Amino acid sequence: MNNVTQIVQKVRQAPWRVQRQWIGVFLLGLVLMAMVAGIYLNVTVRATLAGREIIGLQAFITTNQRVNADLETQLAGLISIEAMQHRADNLGFQPANPDDITYVAVPGFVPQSAVDMSTPNNQPVTPVILPEYTESWFDYFLNQQVSSPGGQP
Amino acid sequence: MKRLPNAWRYLITVSLLALLGIAILVQIIRIQNSPEVAGVINQGNFIWKDFFPPRGEIYDRHGNLLAGNKTVYEIGLDLTANPDMPTILLALQMSGIDLNEVNYRISQVTATAQYIVLDDFVSANKADNLMTLQKAAHGDPTGKNLDAIYFKAHYGRSYPENSLASNVLGFVTEDNHGYMGVEEKYDNILAGIPLRLLVPADPRRATEYPTIPPGQTIILTIDREIQAAVEKILDQALEYTHASSGTIVVMDPRTGEILAMSSTPRLNLNDYQSIKTVFPGETPFNRAISQAYEPGSVAKILTMAGALDSGAVKPETITFVPQYIVVGGFRIFNWDGGAWGNQDMTGCLANSLNVCLAWVADREMGSASFYSYMQRFGLGHATGVDLAQETSGRLKLPGDGDWTPVELGTNSYGQGVSATPLQMVMAASALANDGQMVYPHVLYAQIQDGKQSNTKTQIVGVPVSAATAHTISEMLTNSLEIESSAARVPGYRIAGKTGTAQIPISGGGYDQSNVNASFIGWGPVDDPRFIVYVWLEKPQSNRAASVVAAPIFKQVVEKLVVLLDIPPDAVRRQMIGQ
Repeated sequence: MNNVTQIVQKVRQAPWRVQRQWIGVFLLGLVLMAMVAGIYLNVTVRATLAGREIIGLQAFITTNQRVNADLETQLAGLISIEAMQHRADNLGFQPANPDDITYVAVPGFVPQSAVDMSTPNNQPVTPVILPEYTESWFDYFLNQQVSSPGGQP
Repeated sequence: MKRLPNAWRYLITVSLLALLGIAILVQIIRIQNSPEVAGVINQGNFIWKDFFPPRGEIYDRHGNLLAGNKTVYEIGLDLTANPDMPTILLALQMSGIDLNEVNYRISQVTATAQYIVLDDFVSANKADNLMTLQKAAHGDPTGKNLDAIYFKAHYGRSYPENSLASNVLGFVTEDNHGYMGVEEKYDNILAGIPLRLLVPADPRRATEYPTIPPGQTIILTIDREIQAAVEKILDQALEYTHASSGTIVVMDPRTGEILAMSSTPRLNLNDYQSIKTVFPGETPFNRAISQAYEPGSVAKILTMAGALDSGAVKPETITFVPQYIVVGGFRIFNWDGGAWGNQDMTGCLANSLNVCLAWVADREMGSASFYSYMQRFGLGHATGVDLAQETSGRLKLPGDGDWTPVELGTNSYGQGVSATPLQMVMAASALANDGQMVYPHVLYAQIQDGKQSNTKTQIVGVPVSAATAHTISEMLTNSLEIESSAARVPGYRIAGKTGTAQIPISGGGYDQSNVNASFIGWGPVDDPRFIVYVWLEKPQSNRAASVVAAPIFKQVVEKLVVLLDIPPDAVRRQMIGQ
């Protein structure tokens, strides 16, 4: 018993052991800080890259919308009434006169009506954000508990 | 216990490292929370960004694009890049860019400017030319490159049909404001709402930009095919009548939908800058709504409708039509200055007898009843059509300072009263539509969030009964047959009336050498699908509307029955019977 007490006292009282403990604790803190800094740097870099990509994609979307509008207008120019009449003339067609037309009763025929430009799906498109980006740790663990079969009460 | 000999060194080193770490942490916290840094972040890391939504598109009733958007470029110059101006100006000139504009902008540069806009709304072709030159000159060892030029693409308005329906559409200037026609009337919904946002320049803080809703797309009641046909007919008519201007309006009398509206001159909307050349002085942009004139005998249909509806006369009422009639102390003569003997009311319309209509208004109706009907037909009030720059014309009423009793007589045959062609069309719509007068409009539908909401038909009044409307339609149809009018279309019963009107001149009196020739008509009479108004201003080939305006009406109707799929009356009845 005395031997044990003596050993403990020697260890406690040895200054170099105390200093090593402090150094160990400090180095441990330093390593933890370095790890946190490394993680922070990693996350920051990834966030920056994602941000750059978002900005790039938004610019891409804007450009595409403008190009689409431009192409639509170009297409309208190609099928303008003047262009179409010119093509019809070149193909040998002539405007119809009332005398040229023979009317035939067609059951179920629906005369041409004005255009309907409603889009089939009127639901606005909303961006999907995964819950991993919005939920807290507490929410995450709670969801894990709830979703796991054993977690149900 | 023995102390290590260099323990103090370890202690000092560790302490210094610890102090350094603490100092770094303290400094990081201090910097992040200091107001100076917060200010720098707010000013420097966030930038104002303007988001301009694309302007809403305009389609005709069948989905043909009438007004859309195209890509144009802002061409800028980075003054800090030591640009070689002679080379740049030469490249701009070679690309087809107007140097006058560029030189003007350069002359406005301040000493501290770092960037200037050399030109804006440059077409894609010209910008492509310049980009090609820039690419070829890139890295020129002599320094004569074009690297200081920057291109910024953005939206510009484009009209693929050029001048088609220009009187209806209007145009958009470079500041994204609509002028005239639909572009001005619906500028608010077409332009959308620009947004200015403070966005982070720091990509780590990049967030999704808010969705800027584009301007609303609209669909017009205009039918591109009919519009083109009407414009062609009008242009040809001006050539052979040598009229100073012309106007044609085509409307569906059941709904008020304007199928075509054209007046001269017309503007290539992609070159709207030439508006002052095309429309010199006070020339109206759209005469159909912006130029009121004395319509003359076409207004007789309104007088006769009022007289029939009030019971003042019946179609078979016979009156002796002398050479003149005295109203308010003044003599009113027939168009030929002659007497026409006994005439029934159909004869009065068929022969367009001023004396007869003045007799109807003055002797049979009285001023109160006559003006009541004219007001019910909407004369003196703007129609409210959804087009910019509409005028209302003038209907003087008893009690007005400048009204004189003779005007009851002259107003009965369309002189001394002014109206726009569209006002006359709206008034006549009551006669073609069972007495119900419809609101004329060009907006067929709006598209918002993918949903199309159509404009509903609006009845703005019932000036006469359905029976009266049918009666006057029959009388006008018969009168066309009686006079063997050039407006008749084989196979179709059409109601119509000519109008040859004198033109008032400033200072009083009327122009003795020029007239306005008009024609209004609708058909098929038993189921009207169209109402057409033709107005030629100062035709030179012949003064009579029956000679110059009636054939134009016929040409328009011949196109309409084809484009609207309206079979001849006999075929239609046969089909209905099947």
